[in-house]
Parts: sequence; structure tokens; C-alpha cells
Amino acid sequence: MSAAASRSWDVLARAAAARSAAVETRVQRELLVFSLAGTHYALPIERVREIVRPRALTPMPHVPAEILGVLSLRGEIVQVIDTRHRFRLASVPPSRGSRVIVMSGEHGDVTGLLVDGVHEVLRVDEGELRPPTTADGGLITALAPRGEGFVSLVSPEHVVKFDAGG
Amino acid sequence: MATRGPKKTPGRAEREFLSESEEILERMRDDLGACLERASAGAELAPDVLNRLFRSAHSLKGLSGMFGLESLAELAHRIEDLLDAWRLGRAQPTPERLALFEESVELFGHALEQLAGGGLDAGFGDTVAALIARIAAENAPSTAPQSAESGAIDAPPALLRALTEYEEHRLRENLARGRSIHVVTAVLQLASFEDRLSEISTALREVGELLSTLPSPGDGGPGEIRFALLVASELDAASLAARLELSPAAIHTARAGRRDPGANSASSAELPRTEAEPAAAADAREGAPETETATLRSVSDTVRVDVRKLDELMNLVGELALERGALSEFARRLGAEPGLARLGAELDKIHKALDRKLQDLQASVIEVRMVPLRQVFDKLSRVARRLRLDLGKQARLEIKGADTELDKLIVEELVDPLMHIVRNAFDHALETPEERRAVGKPAEGVIRLEATQRGNDVVITVADDGRGIDAQRVLAKAIERGLVPPTAQLSQREMLDLVFAPGLSTRSEVTETSGRGVGMDVVRSNVSALGGIASVDSALGVGTTLTLTLPITLAIIQALVVGVGEERYAIPLNAVREVLIPGADALQRSGTRELLALRGDALPVLRLRDEFAVRSGTPAIKPFAVILGLGDARLALLVDRLEGQRDTVIKPIQGPVRSVRGVAGATDLGDRSAVLVLDVAALVSSAPRAEAA
Repeated sequence: MSAAASRSWDVLARAAAARSAAVETRVQRELLVFSLAGTHYALPIERVREIVRPRALTPMPHVPAEILGVLSLRGEIVQVIDTRHRFRLASVPPSRGSRVIVMSGEHGDVTGLLVDGVHEVLRVDEGELRPPTTADGGLITALAPRGEGFVSLVSPEHVVKFDAGG
Repeated sequence: MATRGPKKTPGRAEREFLSESEEILERMRDDLGACLERASAGAELAPDVLNRLFRSAHSLKGLSGMFGLESLAELAHRIEDLLDAWRLGRAQPTPERLALFEESVELFGHALEQLAGGGLDAGFGDTVAALIARIAAENAPSTAPQSAESGAIDAPPALLRALTEYEEHRLRENLARGRSIHVVTAVLQLASFEDRLSEISTALREVGELLSTLPSPGDGGPGEIRFALLVASELDAASLAARLELSPAAIHTARAGRRDPGANSASSAELPRTEAEPAAAADAREGAPETETATLRSVSDTVRVDVRKLDELMNLVGELALERGALSEFARRLGAEPGLARLGAELDKIHKALDRKLQDLQASVIEVRMVPLRQVFDKLSRVARRLRLDLGKQARLEIKGADTELDKLIVEELVDPLMHIVRNAFDHALETPEERRAVGKPAEGVIRLEATQRGNDVVITVADDGRGIDAQRVLAKAIERGLVPPTAQLSQREMLDLVFAPGLSTRSEVTETSGRGVGMDVVRSNVSALGGIASVDSALGVGTTLTLTLPITLAIIQALVVGVGEERYAIPLNAVREVLIPGADALQRSGTRELLALRGDALPVLRLRDEFAVRSGTPAIKPFAVILGLGDARLALLVDRLEGQRDTVIKPIQGPVRSVRGVAGATDLGDRSAVLVLDVAALVSSAPRAEAA
């Protein structure tokens, strides 16, 4: 194929990826439900790599308080964020139910999120999602029905991003 | 080209060149064989084979150029031209030209043998020059017959305009051979178009030649994408549609072939080109030029390996080392259980045996990653040659220790910093011949590039005998730029060290030469990123020496594990000079600084507890002082306790915080907890320098 053709290929492939993402909005979404201070939230399951118990974290120097430290996942070293801090909740030491949700980022990098508890995987139709009622600087992207109420769908980018939410 | 007098065994860089070019040449011989067979059968040369040959020649050219084998690069360049003319239809591969091509490939093979034997024979350059002259005479472009016109094709003009020169040539060539030209329109689902398109392309290649694939505008539904594929085939549209399982409407015949349409069903059976044909033709051929037996045998016995594969291997070895650590820990715990001490001891014995083998394995893998600095040094001497011509300065580059070996990844990363340094030396440090004569120096300046191994470090120095750095002027500049308070009392060494400060260029104001200076801060940060350190020493009017101290490998490091409170940290052992418990009067305060008196020197002190704000535990009453040294900078790091020496693999810390001052990464010592690895270069260079009074 000619160079010009392969260039337009790239453009088309990108457009295709964007459009197929849009097409996906009709399909079912799987969400991992977790809790912070008794409130339920959810994360898209495709970004969750694994869930581990919070082992002893190694603290890091010169970092903001919301970075609790690092842990070793079979030799891979991953920072753990205090998710409560993101939601302006007071920090508490990990308890029996606490878990670290290991999220994979868009560029293959990995971050751990410490949460009070992990509950179930929720399946919802994309059409059932409602826009968030409050502006959280993008932290909450939608509300998903769960039982009688709703859970807030959290943006993986915003919860992991270092300078979001202060 | 330099011809070497005494024969010697080739060095590592040469071996690498040999194995790589030999691989390419091997492929070229195969492809050339295929071409000769087709030519002798009177068939058209396969376009994909010509393309591959062209790419091979191009690679050989680049490779030879990189290794300074200019006559070989020139030869490869001529071969490339020859092939380019054939593949674009500008010239025909006549038997004479094919023979020349074959001769060139063989000559290349001979060159590799000679290089493997220690160097090119004297007079080899003349042989190459003679052959190049013959190629030039034979490859005059005017003899290229124009093939059939591409006019009268019923295809969208936009599609025809998008064709490259090569694709156009292929179109004409196929028209000349009387094949039908079809435009196949494929409307594909966006979600799966890549797979489907490659299926169609593969199917098309089986029944003809796929000339071009272009995305095409048109009213595809949502979630769909259209492609136009230009195909030359001896099949008509209907049989093509049947073969591809496409609707006949998807195929538009732009130009029907010369064959009788009625014969299509028969031709489809004979058409698919099989690989057996040319092979059969080859068997029938008599007296095919046999390659000499010598060239059949490989001249080098090396295997080329992607460095990423080595990384994988290294990671595996690292993970094995982690498992070993866990085993050792388990043996210790077992030994501590009442009644199980004997089992624990046995397990420990097994562990020790495993450990020895593992160390051998590590050493072997590290050894594989090592390459000589010669690769970089050769590049530098080429740059130096050019600079000498461009700047009109008389200077020579003297190289020593080019066989010193370093981790491949480190060598790669060293190219830029060293290039900066050598350029700076030529550009700024060396005076003009007139200036030099005026101060009684020889007109020709000397830049000495030297590498030596010292323990687990490699030290690279670049020393010039130029004008030297005026430390007072550097200081004045730094004060002017606000980098240093005007009241600062700095030693000579500290003043010189300011050349590495960001925002202080060493350009004209300091050295009064023309041209642009390069940020030495970039050099320092590049070297620090490799776990090394850059330092400078200079005497006014005498010269300047830059010293880069680097670890031999990044892959596995030996580390000293230390403890502060409940935390543990790993310190790369190559940076640890000694460990001691300072006596009560050895630690002294001097203003805001704390100093450690050590054999007449006063070393700056850094308490790791304070530096990393560790709150757990209580500070040890008698702390250990770990004396860190990189290059000639030293620092006494105070820690609560020592926990021993371990082999570790440094891993990057993943997560939102990209870098942390003083931390190079982290490691798992086998007990499933992370231990931070200290960035000694950052700690040492951030601590204020202190010297013997």
C-alpha cells in the first residue's frame, strides 16, 4: 500500500475506533460496585485489573497525603490512592472489609484505589444511565440504577488523576 | 576505506555488523535465486521479491555506512539504484544487469568473509570501484522501454490519481500483460473491518495482483467503511466475485483483459501462481552458477536478539530471584520452629545451591546484554572528523578503552550526552590554532576520550587541553541569573559544578567562543537517569575534564538494605563506599550543615529519617553512616540499622506520581512488600558539597 494510503488508513482506523466506542453505548455495561463511608459508587469493570487486600503499604516520601504508599503485586510496584480523599471524606485506617481496586490506566500503567469495601458486579443497560445531578468536576460521569436507588459511576481517569479534586 | 594491516579477530561491534549483514545477504541470495530462475524461464520478476531485494539493499547501505565501510555502502547504494529502476519499470532487468547484480552480491559476501578474517584485503576498494563503474555504465536509464499506457481505464479518476509511481508502474505492467483490471468495492463493518479487509486482500492476492487499497468515500451506512481495491487478474468479474464470496455488483471491471471471456472458467484453473513453477524451472536448468562453497558456510556464529527479548529474560531471572528470596525466608522460619531445625537447615542448603546457580544465570544474562563502548566511540570520532572540517580547528580525538563493556541500554542512552560533550569541547573548549600558538600550546588540540571499568562502575572521561573554565565567571553568571545568592561562599569545585545547573548555559559569556552551547544540565540529568553521575574538573588555560560514572548494568543490582524506623530502603551497592558507626565527636554542625569528619575530610551528612520524613520508631542513638560516592562526590547517609546485602531488580513505581526526589524505583525483596530504592545520584548532588578545609 502506498504511503498516502497508509496515512489515510491511520485516520480511518482512529475514526473507526471512536465510532465503535459510540456504537458500544447500546450494549450492556458491567460496573464494579464499591463503598466509601456507607455510600455506594461504581467503576467500569473493564478498567479493573484485580482486587487485593490492603497489605502493609510502603510509604513514599515527598508525596501528597492522598498517596498512601506503594505495594508489590508479584514484584510490580503500584501506588495506592486513598479514594476517600478524592471524595473529601476523612481518612480512616484500612479495616477488615477494605480492599485495593487495582485499575489499569489507558497507557498500561496501574494504580491502586483503597476503598472501604467491594460489593458486586452490576449489569446495566447503557440506556438506563442518567446524567449526574451535581457537577463534580467530572469525577461522577453518570448515575446507574441499583435496587431502589442509584449508584454514582466514577470516572477512572478522574479518580486516578493526581491533580484532580485537589 | 581503511584497510587493516595485521589480521586480528573481529571485535564485538564487528561481529554484530557481520551477523546482521550476513542475515540480509542470505535473504538477498535467496531472492536473487528466485529472480534468476524466473528470468531464465522468461517470466516477469515477481514484484514482491524485487521490493524485498530493494529493501535489503537499502538496509545493507545503512549498515555499512554506520560502520564506516564506505566502499561497501557505495556498492549497496548502486545495487539499490539498480533495483529501484527495475521495480519502478524505469529499466528492464536484462541478463547482463542480473549478472552484475549477482556479482555485486557475491562481492559483498567476500567482503564479509574478509572482515570476519580480520579486515578487508588491500585493493578491495579498487575491486569495488571497478564494479561500481560497470554498474553505472550498464544501468543508464534511457534504455527503459515504456510499457503500455494506463489510459482508457474506467476507474474513478480520484482513485487513479492516488496511485504511487510504483503502483502506476504495476498497473501498466499488468495491462501490458493483458490482464483484467477490476475495482473491488468492499463495504465493511467498522468494528471488524481490519480482519475482513485482510481476508479479502489475501484472497485477491491468490487470484491476481492487488495493486492498491484505498479508503473510498461514499454513502456507507453508519458504522460502515468503504474501500476500493484495485486488482489485476486474469479472472473476469463474475469468477472473481465467486472466489471472494462477494456480490458481483461489488466488482467493477475497469478494463477487460485480452483473453477471450469464454475462456475464463478454464483460465481460473490454471491461473493461481504456484511456487512450484519456478522451482521446477530451476531443476530443469543446467549449470546454474554455483555459489562458492566458502560462502555457503556462515562466517559468523552469532545470533541476533531483540533487546526487548533480553529484557523479558532479565525480568524472568529477576522474578526467580524473588522466589529465591521467599525460599530463603521460609527456610529461616522453618529453622526457628522447635523440632524443625534440621529440616530448616536442609532447606537452607538446597536454597544455597539454587542461589549459586541463579547467580550464574544472572551473570550470563547480564553478560549477553553487554556491548563494547566502541559503537558509541566510533560515532563520536565520525562527529569529530566532521566538526574539525566545519569549525576549522586543528584537533584530534584520542580514544582509549573502547572495548570496555556496558549494558546495551546504557550505551544507547549515552550517545546523546557524549555527543553534547564532545561537541562542546570542539566548539567552546578548544582555542583556534592562532590562540593556541599565542599561549605556547601546540596548534593542534587534543580531546581524550577514555573508558575504564572500576568495580561495578564504568568511568568515561572526556578531557581537552583547551582554555579551561573560568570558575569565577561561572559563579558571576549564576549569581546574575539568581541561581546562587550573591553572598554564597563556594569552593572551586562547587563553582565549577554550577555548569550543570539548569538555566546556566556555558555559552559565549563564559567561554567567549562562537556557536551555541548545549545545556550541560541535560547531560547531568540523562546520566542520573541511568543511575550515574556527571562531574567536571577544569584548570584555567590547561583544560577541562568531564567524568561520567555509570553502573555496568541496570538490570540487576546489588543493594544494601538499610532500615529507618519501620521502613526499609535499598541502596545500590555500587554507590556505597563504606559503612561505619561515627564516633560521638565525628558528627559536627557547621551553620545549617551537618558534617562528618572522615580521615581529614568533612563529608556532608544527610539523615534519611529527616529527608524522607519517617515518623515510625525512634532514631537510633548510634546511627550507621553509609558513605555514598558517585564520581568524586560523597555523602554520609545516616540510617538506623543495616539489614544486609541483596540482589534486586529495580522496578518503576506505577501510579499518578511520576517521580519522587531521591527515589529511583522500588523492589520486592521476596516478602511481598515493596522497598524503595534510593536514587543516590539525586541525593548526592542535592547535598551541599564539602571539602577538606
